[in-house]
Amino acid sequence: MSKVVEISPTTRHEGHTKLVLKINDEGIVERGDWLSLTPVRGIEKLAVGKSMHQVPKIASRVCGICPIAHTLAATEAMEASVGCYVPEDAMLLRYILQCANRLHSHALHNILSLPDMYLPGTDTKINPFTPEEPVRSVALRIQKLREVGQTVGEIVGGEAIHPSNPRVGGMYKNITPRAREKIYDLAKEALPLARDHMEFMISVFKNFQNRDTVEVGGMEVPVPDTFGFHNQGYMATAPVYGSSSLDDDPTWFPERWTEVRPWDWYMGETEIDYDEPNYPIGGTTPAGNKAWPQMEACMGVPLYDGQPVEVGPRARMVQYRNFDLKGAMGLQIARQMEYMDCIYGMMEAADALNTSGKVLADEIPQGDGTLGWAANEAPRGSDVHLVKVKDGRVRWYSLLVPTTWNFPTCSRALEGAPWQLAEVIVRAYDPCVSCATHMLVVNEDKRIVAQKLIE
Amino acid sequence: MLFREIVVVGCGNPLFADDGFGPAVVEELQKLDLPEKVKVIDGGLGGPHYLFTLMAHSDEPVKKLIVVDIADFGGKPGTLVRLTPEDLPPGSYRDVHSWNMVEPLQLLKDRVEIAIIGCQPKRVTEPNVELGLSDEVEKAIPKAVRHVLKEIGVDDGATIKVKADLGEEGTTPAQGGP
Repeated sequence: MSKVVEISPTTRHEGHTKLVLKINDEGIVERGDWLSLTPVRGIEKLAVGKSMHQVPKIASRVCGICPIAHTLAATEAMEASVGCYVPEDAMLLRYILQCANRLHSHALHNILSLPDMYLPGTDTKINPFTPEEPVRSVALRIQKLREVGQTVGEIVGGEAIHPSNPRVGGMYKNITPRAREKIYDLAKEALPLARDHMEFMISVFKNFQNRDTVEVGGMEVPVPDTFGFHNQGYMATAPVYGSSSLDDDPTWFPERWTEVRPWDWYMGETEIDYDEPNYPIGGTTPAGNKAWPQMEACMGVPLYDGQPVEVGPRARMVQYRNFDLKGAMGLQIARQMEYMDCIYGMMEAADALNTSGKVLADEIPQGDGTLGWAANEAPRGSDVHLVKVKDGRVRWYSLLVPTTWNFPTCSRALEGAPWQLAEVIVRAYDPCVSCATHMLVVNEDKRIVAQKLIE
Repeated sequence: MLFREIVVVGCGNPLFADDGFGPAVVEELQKLDLPEKVKVIDGGLGGPHYLFTLMAHSDEPVKKLIVVDIADFGGKPGTLVRLTPEDLPPGSYRDVHSWNMVEPLQLLKDRVEIAIIGCQPKRVTEPNVELGLSDEVEKAIPKAVRHVLKEIGVDDGATIKVKADLGEEGTTPAQGGP
């Protein structure tokens, strides 16, 4: 007899989501619904009427984690709509930026994934913040890789978080020969670290998959051989960078994309009739509460060829590298393998870059309302922006962000797993759910604050 | 270089009205000729995970971090406060996106001097998008700039120059300046 358990909110990822899980008597998920709780903000509507130069800046603010991916996808979607071809040296700079962003993002995701994992050969779970070896060295390595990614991103992008250098038509400025040397030196420094780190992380994820059981909140639960498997397809547009409708041979097709409402996809109203107070961080939702995923999900459900698809590192590896590992740990392993792409990608693009080359198109057309799209291979997968620009103004705009693609696919991957491990599957996708606001809230007791009023 | 001796980070999202205060202050600061040892960064929503968590182990030691953000302390909109990590309840800068990571500012505070310039917002429209700050918060920008410059230190030249440009305490600077 099925029971329903709810994990809300899910943790150690970006954004606000929940899991509603129908489980059997053994606690195995029969149907899993993973849904976004981050409210819809209507950014696509806000963009209408704004200039094609302004909208990428707005788009970069929809997420605090992926501003680079959104800047690049939005900028190139504008260029695709107006038919503006960008100089090669500008594209090389964007390529370096992409590699830097992915390097940082993957390294950061390791910190979020490691607490679920064990040190290989032991029954010790990994606390990435412990000062003890060998974890401390791993943590320092992660920080170094992040710092290299951020520094290279800043050199090329102009700013480390919201890149100011990319613009419609190319880049505002090229980099100096000295800056190019700096990028090369940083990449060379990171190369052996990235290789060691990739190997370590892969051994950690393989170890998890090979264990008979793992511990969650004091419960010892089995790890199925098919942990996190699904039978959906994959969608990727390039091994590293992406594609746009300006390409001679585009690798994404808008006519294959459809979008349905969460109402058509998720479970109807249901009562939560199983709970577990020992589940980490406050237990699951108490029994007796209601869940209504159809109504609560705050996103569209995009389909490709009428089906959910997986996007992200494994999709890229499957499509371009004959990668064949399935499951949650297969996805994690694919992500680690991209470290080397990031480092070599930076070096090769820096090698090819002519620092005296022009980086801005001679002419930037103003557009006649043609549909243009650009898919940027963000760390989490294809970030597709579609736009129609006419007379320099955005007339229609749509964003299909990576985790939106992954929500329904990951929901299917939950089936067959012990419910206690559902979050481990979710984290394997490195979800980046479009952000809510950021606010610093101060204590109820306002006396301390009041004393420090300065204006 | 990613960091320097003094790092100023403006936090917040300009898509949600007054939440854009931090980036707006950064935009003003970037117009100034600041000392070499100062780095000003628009942190957007990425401050905690892109910057704060990196400073503790950086090869380039950060001595002082100045965070500019909105702070809801029940004051009059546009009022500024100076806070330190000790003033903040747990979770304020852990991470806004339920990552459940160890709080980066708490980790940093023993190595780096941290000052937080907080501004009481009038309205934060999340999840609805609204561009532009309220008048009250807009008027707090030059004041916040001045306080950041004070934090940077009067021995660095820029402060004195800008003080002169700012004119009277609390007034909006003339068009084009500082």
